Amino acid sequence: MTVATDFVRPVTGETFDALVGTRSGPVAVEFMSYGCEHCRLLEPVLQEVAETLGSQEAVFRVNIAIDQELANRYLIEGTPTLVMLLNGEEVGRAVGPDPSVKVLWDEVTRPFEELA
Amino acid sequence: MTIQEDLSKPILLFNDECAVCRVIARWVTQSAKRQAGGSPLIIRPIGNDPLALRALNPQLDIWDAYANIHLLMPDGSMRTNGEAVAETLRRLPSTRWLARSFDVRVFEKRPFQAILNVAYMVLADLRPLLGCESCGIPPPWLHPFHWIAQRIKGRVKPKNHTAVAMGHSM
Repeated sequence: MTVATDFVRPVTGETFDALVGTRSGPVAVEFMSYGCEHCRLLEPVLQEVAETLGSQEAVFRVNIAIDQELANRYLIEGTPTLVMLLNGEEVGRAVGPDPSVKVLWDEVTRPFEELA
Repeated sequence: MTIQEDLSKPILLFNDECAVCRVIARWVTQSAKRQAGGSPLIIRPIGNDPLALRALNPQLDIWDAYANIHLLMPDGSMRTNGEAVAETLRRLPSTRWLARSFDVRVFEKRPFQAILNVAYMVLADLRPLLGCESCGIPPPWLHPFHWIAQRIKGRVKPKNHTAVAMGHSM
């Protein structure tokens, strides 16, 4: 699997608060690990969704194999888990979404539409 | 992570999150040490840095590295799956004799290599049943056995995600 352009921006424990926690506007954070087959299946779908979202919603990736503390902070019980944040506050989450563009699009946009 | 690898030897990548893979890697490491003049292979975990892997080989994708075994050759080529296993056995002093069989050709086919390829695929498919959470999704032919294994363990794996042990390092 080769991803030409990475539309999902990696974020670590050191950069999380600066890039995600204090960000205004909709954000989706994928908690994943490279050894997770479900994450592998979701990856091209997430890339497509992130590309389509563009500036409408920022999509980030946390590798929990490295950043266990972030996984604990957000009570991540499995990968992939997407946590949707608005102004740093969690407004929704999707655990193990089906790897289809339609399902994933709904998962990452619906929480914000419900708030609107 | 800074990669300062000796690229003059083949590099065998293994999934450090998988118990089965760790056991195999340990055996390869021990076998390689018996080689006079030093180990003929470098055995290293895949890790979590996609760019570090690309530095080893520009064609190497970290997702693919976790999906199946990769042996990075000094000439820049990569061997995967059964071919990687055969090349690894070819390099080890204790299995070199066995590895010769994988080169035997019958009517332009390599029957022993074909058997090894199937054996690798079966083992790779079986890893999730052997307790490896990071070794993929069992194929359809293993679903009944996977279901039974999970019932024995007292849990049913949630669909579409890999469970994470809370508060423990991966």
